Amino acid sequence: MFQIIKNEWQFLVRSRIFLGISIAFIAIMLLSIFLGNYQTQKQEQTHQNAKNHVRQQWVSIDEMNPHSAAHYGTFIFKPTNLLSNLDEGVNSVTGNVLRVEGHVQNEIVHSEASQMQAVSRFGKLKPSLLLQYIVPLLLVFLAFNTVSNEKQSGRLKLLVLQGAKPLQIILSKTLAVWLYGVLLLIFILFVYGILNVQSLTTDILARTGLFFISYCLYYFIISGLTVFFSSRWQNATLALTSMLGIWIIWTIFLPNILMSSVEKWHKLPSRNEFQTAMKEDRSKGLDGHNPTDKRSLALKEKVLKEYGVDSVSQLPINFDGMRMQADEDYGNSVWDKHFGNNRSVLKKQKQSFQLGGIVNPFISLQNTSMGFMASDNLHHQEFLLQVENYRRVFIKMLNDKQIYGGSKTGDWGWKIDNAFFKSVPDFDYKPTEISAVISNYILDVVLLFLWTILVVALIVLGTKKLKMV
Amino acid sequence: MIQIQDVSKSFKGDLAVQNLNLEIKKGDILGLLGANGAGKSTTINMLLGFLKPDSGKVSINAIDTSQNAQETRKLIGYIPENVNLYPYLSGLENLDYFCKLAGLKYSKKELEDYLSTCGLANDAHHKKVSGYSKGMRQKVGIAIAYAKKAKVYLLDEPASGLDPLASNELSLLLQKLASEGATILMASHDIFRVREVCNRIGILKKGILVKELNSKDVSANELETLYLQFMQN
Repeated sequence: MFQIIKNEWQFLVRSRIFLGISIAFIAIMLLSIFLGNYQTQKQEQTHQNAKNHVRQQWVSIDEMNPHSAAHYGTFIFKPTNLLSNLDEGVNSVTGNVLRVEGHVQNEIVHSEASQMQAVSRFGKLKPSLLLQYIVPLLLVFLAFNTVSNEKQSGRLKLLVLQGAKPLQIILSKTLAVWLYGVLLLIFILFVYGILNVQSLTTDILARTGLFFISYCLYYFIISGLTVFFSSRWQNATLALTSMLGIWIIWTIFLPNILMSSVEKWHKLPSRNEFQTAMKEDRSKGLDGHNPTDKRSLALKEKVLKEYGVDSVSQLPINFDGMRMQADEDYGNSVWDKHFGNNRSVLKKQKQSFQLGGIVNPFISLQNTSMGFMASDNLHHQEFLLQVENYRRVFIKMLNDKQIYGGSKTGDWGWKIDNAFFKSVPDFDYKPTEISAVISNYILDVVLLFLWTILVVALIVLGTKKLKMV
Repeated sequence: MIQIQDVSKSFKGDLAVQNLNLEIKKGDILGLLGANGAGKSTTINMLLGFLKPDSGKVSINAIDTSQNAQETRKLIGYIPENVNLYPYLSGLENLDYFCKLAGLKYSKKELEDYLSTCGLANDAHHKKVSGYSKGMRQKVGIAIAYAKKAKVYLLDEPASGLDPLASNELSLLLQKLASEGATILMASHDIFRVREVCNRIGILKKGILVKELNSKDVSANELETLYLQFMQN
């Protein structure tokens, strides 16, 4: 087998066209990595500057009423992700900035796609674009005539006469082509690793390893299937046409058709429906700014009873803050209900879409690629959840200060000094570790393995039907 | 060495070979003459183990080719009409590659010797095969079989398209191989070349061996007359 693989590589190395294409491809690849890295560094710097600026504004508040500070709020910037250099995933369309304030959970805004026409129209030139679309095409072009050429030239007979078994020949040719894809992959990961060597962590290495395995499996599927067609069909053109057809169906049509179907099966509420439903549920709760609200009055009665006093002016605490926090708590439960529902619909969509991998391994590859590079919707949702958790802690801290900080009910002019604002912690994003989310991608990896086994079975079967004469 | 006993083979009802009986001994060169579709290539493919006879038995060195093709193939050197080698490799690299596939590892010197023995000029050994003539490729093809130490050589129209010099060189080479003990079966249209190279001649017509004779018993002109008679009847 080694001799056949070596011979295939001799052909590749000595072919000027192939070398030219490879060099051009590697140059584009390098460009995409360098540009991606440069952009990430720039974004990271902008992110840090914006984060520091906003934090500086917060810690510079000299004196302010805590509830006014809750309205003043702060901004959270989605941190750049080193891994998204390889696969941008949904990052360029999901937004980067989120305003955190009292009473309301804002949406994340300012996506790159909304600000850059080139990104919204063509996407970004990321290695994943080349690895998912162009490398498989190169593999198809390398493999489509590997066996048919041997058959047509009569060399296949010579090879078999020299003792090579047909299965050995076909498997070796598959491996030779596959190896080309794997080497490109290794090259990209190596350059990426060198450029970011100081930032590599165990989690990043584990994610990159899984990313590598997914692509290796997919490249084997593409190489094996093409070599199988090359051995089955009488001429190379038919093998090439078959594989190009499969490539178009797998990468262009099926993902779109499946995603649209999944979105219909598990429908997310429209933005308008969602906001109306939230508003409606919220209106059934307590209004923090309305002391005459029925639920506010009930809460007041409860608190007065608890403290054994007749009026809020007799309370040792600030009841306004308590009402605000009750408003928050109710708002949080409304958010949990509606966003929880959205998350569950998104989860169902993801699970259904994953099953598309049964008929299309490209779907499994895309899922694992984005997932392992922490740039899919699941990771984005994890970020939003962390932001919401921070918002709750942030607002509660301000409300608690309002309640227990020494002011009395109705004392809206009461202010707290700078030391308190400095003590409010900044948002500290904890990247989701792969061990916490790996279970979401097991199905994709399993399907890629099953496809690999299927391709091996096809090769074995195809070998048995291989006609020498 | 080669035994074909009462062999028949048909494709979709059309008989390609019918009750064929042939025996080629060690050192013999048998020339199989016949028009296109006479069954020459089918016979060779059955000897190679790529086709199974419908009836009868094909054996090489007493091993049935349809039962144990892997074993019989070890003994065979096959030279098709067009020896298509890998054009991006030199003659020497091609020889080295095919030898390694057969599990044979030769030094550069040994490989060069094989090529030279089979008549390939020394200055061509390291040139890419894409620049070789048909005759040069055939010599490498024979060198592959020779380096494999084949006991049986099966040649399918080997002289077709060769210039007279190359054709003559091929004849000498085959006679040399036979003198070293090789068994050779050569399918051809070329009556004169077959008469010159082979010690035995068989004429195939529509899958039937219509005549078998010793080449020394017949002149080239007589053989041509005989061949034409069979073809016309």
